[in-house]
Parts: sequence; C-alpha cells; structure tokens
Amino acid sequence: MKRIDAVIRPSQLDEVKQRVNALGVTGLTVSEVRGFGRQKGHTETYRGSEYTVDFLPKIFVTIAVVEELVEQVVDAIVEGARTGVIGDGKIFVSSLEDVIRIRTGERGPGAI
Amino acid sequence: MQFSNRSITKRIPQAILILVFAQFLCGSLSIALADQAQADPAGTATGDKTSVVDAAGNPFVVPEPTDTSAPDYAKNKKDFEEFQTQAAKEPLAMKLADGVGHTRIATNFSWTLLTGYLVLFMQAGFALLTCGLVRKKNAGHLMMLNFAAYVFAFLAYYAVGYAFQFGAIAVNAAPSNLGGTPTLNHFLIGSGQWGFLGGKGFFLTGPAYDAGSNCLTLFEVVFMETAGYIIVGAICERITFWAFLLCELFIGALLYPISGCWVWGGGWMSQLGSSMHLGHGYVDFAGSSVVHGIGGFCAMALAVILGPRLGKYGPDGKPRGFPASNIVFVVTGTFLLLFGWMGFNPGSTLGATDLRISVVAVNTNLAAVAGSAAAMLLWYRLFGKPDITMACNGMLAGLVAITAPCAFVSPTASVIIGILAGGLVCAGVLFNERVLKIDDPCGAISVHGYCGWLGAVSLGIFADGTYGAGWNGVGSAAYLGKAGQGVTGLLHGDWSQFLVQLGGATLLAIYAFGATYIVFSGVNAWRSMRVTREVELTGLDVPQFGMLAYPEDAVEMLTAGSQAPQRGL
Repeated sequence: MKRIDAVIRPSQLDEVKQRVNALGVTGLTVSEVRGFGRQKGHTETYRGSEYTVDFLPKIFVTIAVVEELVEQVVDAIVEGARTGVIGDGKIFVSSLEDVIRIRTGERGPGAI
Repeated sequence: MQFSNRSITKRIPQAILILVFAQFLCGSLSIALADQAQADPAGTATGDKTSVVDAAGNPFVVPEPTDTSAPDYAKNKKDFEEFQTQAAKEPLAMKLADGVGHTRIATNFSWTLLTGYLVLFMQAGFALLTCGLVRKKNAGHLMMLNFAAYVFAFLAYYAVGYAFQFGAIAVNAAPSNLGGTPTLNHFLIGSGQWGFLGGKGFFLTGPAYDAGSNCLTLFEVVFMETAGYIIVGAICERITFWAFLLCELFIGALLYPISGCWVWGGGWMSQLGSSMHLGHGYVDFAGSSVVHGIGGFCAMALAVILGPRLGKYGPDGKPRGFPASNIVFVVTGTFLLLFGWMGFNPGSTLGATDLRISVVAVNTNLAAVAGSAAAMLLWYRLFGKPDITMACNGMLAGLVAITAPCAFVSPTASVIIGILAGGLVCAGVLFNERVLKIDDPCGAISVHGYCGWLGAVSLGIFADGTYGAGWNGVGSAAYLGKAGQGVTGLLHGDWSQFLVQLGGATLLAIYAFGATYIVFSGVNAWRSMRVTREVELTGLDVPQFGMLAYPEDAVEMLTAGSQAPQRGL
C-alpha cells in the first residue's frame, strides 16, 4: 500500500479528481492549505501601500492506493494538475504500514 | 476600564436621580423664561394661515408694518389694509387658509422625518463599510463601535447637545418650514448676531417638548450621529471601548453641538453676512464642514493621539497595507451611504415645499459618480490597478464635498466639485500614510475631513446665485443689485462669500482638531486609550467583548487550550 500526497493548484482540483476517479480509486481527501515553493509569494498594493502574499493557497490531496495503482494515479495527477507554469505543485509518494476501516475494523488493502 | 458590578449598581440610582433633577430643573427653567411663545407637544397649533406662502415664499397673510420710518411704509400699510378688508369680506377663505397652512407644515414634516430615517440608515452603511475595510479579527469590535456610537451619542445629544445647538434657533434662523419653533429662543452664551451657544431645550423638555422642535430633533440627531461614527474609521483596531464611549459623549454633547450652533443654530458664523457684510454669512447647506469636517478632524486628532496600528510601519518607516477583509461589505456599505445621502442633502431643505430638492438630489448623485470616477481612474494611472476601496472612498469624497454646496450650484459645477474631491481623497490618503504617518484604516480623515473642508470652500467658488435669496437674513429684497439673487460665489461675482467660506471652513477644522486634541491628550495621559499589545495582536473581539464575529474562525485564531468555542454542534 502507498500513500500519495499531492500539492496542486486549486483550479486543477476538478481535473485531478475526474482522472483519479476514472481509475477506480475509492477515496480521496482534500485540504485547503497555504505554502510556497519555487513560485514564492508576490507583492500587491493596497490603498497605496505594499503588502506581500508569502503563502499561496493550494490544495492538498491525499490518496491511499494499492501498489498496482500507484503509477497510474501519479500519472493521472500529473496530467490533471499540469499547466506548465511555475507553481503547479508536487507529488509525494510514501509507503503505508496499515489501513483500518473504522466502521468494521477491517485492516490492510481490503480497508482501502 | 473595568467597572465592578458593585460600583455599577451604586451608580444607577445616582444616574436616575440626576435625570429626575434635570427634568425638574428644565421644567422650572422653562417656566421662568416663559414668554408669549408656547410649546405645542400635540402639534394641533402648528401651521395655520400664517404658514401659507406662494412658490416664491411670499406670505399669504400680509403683516402690519411696524417701522414707520421705512421708505416703503406707506405702500406696505396700504397692502396691509387691503388684506384686512378682503379678509373681513371672506371669512371662509381665512378658515381654508388655516387648513392649507397646516397641510403645508405637515408635508414638510413628512419630508423631514422620512429623509431623517434615510440618514439614520447610513449607520448600517458605515458599519458595513468600516467592518469590511479592517481585518477579520476585529469585525466584532468594529460592529460594536458603530452600534455604541449611535446609542451613546444619541443620549448625550438628547441631554444637552440639542439645546446647545438649537436652543436659540428662533432668534436668527427659525425653521419656518417646520412652523418656526418659536420656543427655542435663548442663547446661553452670546446674544443677537453674536450667539455662541444655545440655551433652551435641555433633555428635550419644556420649550423643546414641541412637535415642530421634535421634527427638527429627529433630523438633526442623525446628522450628529454621522459625525459620531466618522471617527470609527480612523481609530478602530486599537482603541479601548471605554475611551471610545468618552469620545462619543464628547462629540454628542459638546464638540458637534457647539460649532453646529455657530452655523446652523443662528450663531455668530451664520450671521457674518448681517454683522460683517461677508456674503450671506458662513453657509453650509447640509454639513460638509459642520458634520463631516468636524467628524474628520476630530478623527484626525484621535488617530494622532492613538498612534498607528502595530506593524503598520516597518522598521524602515515604510507603510504596509493591511488588506480589507470583506470587499463585498465595503461596496454594499458605500451604496447604502449613497442611498442615505439622498436624505442627507435633499432633506436639509427641511421641507418638500422647497422644490429645489430635485436639483439637490441630482447634484448629490453627480458629485458622487464624478468623485468615484476620478479616484478610480487616478488610481488606475498611479498604481496600474483601480483599488476597489479607493473607488468607494472616491464616491464618498464626492458626496462629502457636494454636501455644503449642493443647493447652490449647477449640475456641471457638481461634477467639477466631485472630480476635485476624488483627486483630493487619493492625495489625502497617500499624504496621511506616507508623509504625516497617521494611520487611518478607513480613510476617514481624508474623505470626511479634507473633502469636507473642500466642499465648504467650493460653495464660495461655484455658488451661482439661483438659490438662497435672503439666506441667513441677507439680501431678501435684492443682493448684488439684483432682486432674488441668492448665495453667490467667487465665479459669479461675490468675493466676500469665498472669503467667509475659506476662513470658516478652516476655523471649523482647527476647532475640531484642537478641541479634541486638548481633551483627549488629557484623557490619554490619565489612562492609556489604547489596548495592550497582546490584545491588538490577537484581535479586539474576544479580549474586549468576549466573543468573535465569526466563531467558526476560533480554531485558527485562538491558541489550543483556551476556551475556544467548538466547531459545529
């Protein structure tokens, strides 16, 4: 089992969701987050005084998948989230020790 | 300031005693000063045939001439006798005239009260505007300031403010559209053309317990409130609640009524035309300087005393922007203010029988859109993007500036005044922020102070003489050699009007800033009017009022372990 975390542009969430759904992934968790990468923040003017936006709004997607699906899901996220402009985000893949379905107590791949 | 419960319960009976005593005092005072004029609480004696006038304001009832030495005495005497003969022949016509006179006053009551309600609703506009312009962590604080301003300034105005401002209005400036309020006829300080403070109608008792007077009270109290909540925009996000209440009591009881008496209560500034031959005296139709200028420069003094918000100026002295938290509120609030202004300016005729109201309404709107257009385009040019909050400030700047001249100028002049105000408000915001380094979160000083001053001065430039014949008792027969010539500005041939406007508006600005600075420097020395550093950083809502405007934000705003309200149910 693997855990896939992706930081993407808020505007690309729908695209990513559709592509991942099409692969038969059964669950996906989304959080609204802020941060910076190579894109950094930017400076704006409010009533004549400058202010900087250091942390840009991004969407953090978490998906737990079985090993066989990892490459496909990663490809789907890349396809859905890529605009080609700086600030498209990142994907982190890590191994997952266990998964428990709270309602039934099931464990392992069957609980995903 | 923390009042303990014990001290509050001790003070309530004291406060009631004072009120009862005041009631008694005013009752006996009014008896002592009683003259032929009687208050009319029921309104059944207000408005009779003497209130009937034609479109030009000529009275139906011809008065008996008293000055036998006047050059046209013989003609007036003949007119009077002719009227008496006709009146004796047609008693039914005289009865009818009583009804017509009463209806005229009733029409004017309706207009004045309704426009007063519109001005009252500007409170909601100000609350939304200022709340939207500040950071979310202070939203509750902003709402409470706007709310408490209405409550406490109103009570102060009821107690003494109204009497100080209008207690002598019948002496020089009787509002004939509302029946003349003949009972408000005594200056506490000064007399005749040099009145400084009204002296009748404390606690709205005796001479002020009158239908005509109360119509004026309702309309004028909401004007005072406008000055009262202007200050919120400049002092918010850092002032303590107790200090704010003191500010409101000060404005409602003293600062606003005193200068209000000078200009609108028949006081010395309004009479400079008769006493010193300066134009029509100091003229401010609906309060560019009397209301907005006073509020704006009072706000300036308070902002100087309080100092800028934490983090507003970096270590290099450069100002930082604290972006508005809710642009939707800002724009909605501005439109509510524009709507309310349709009461503020046209209502200041105190009567629908004065048909100039349509010109006033059009002029007011024109200045608003011209001001907004100017600010928007100027900002577009200066910074590459039109700032939404400055576009709103531009509209308010146009409104503030046209408030004094709206009845006396042409629509084209209104557009020019609006453009000037739109430019001035942008310059003023940058000047305060970068040069004076006064932190004014909502631009109140620039919008109301600077543009208020500009409005009163522009009256002295653009007034075209088509309206206001006999204003402040000057030139009722003829002015500048022309019959029916009204208030006239520099461009139409009256230098003296410009001088009195320039001097008067400047004096009012200095008065508002100076009086506020002196009083509240003292208060601030006694006890700091500013919240502590920790409170300012957290946001004032919970430390000052025990609640957040948006409790669902609590998880983000309060540290773990504090008594944060739970999310959801």
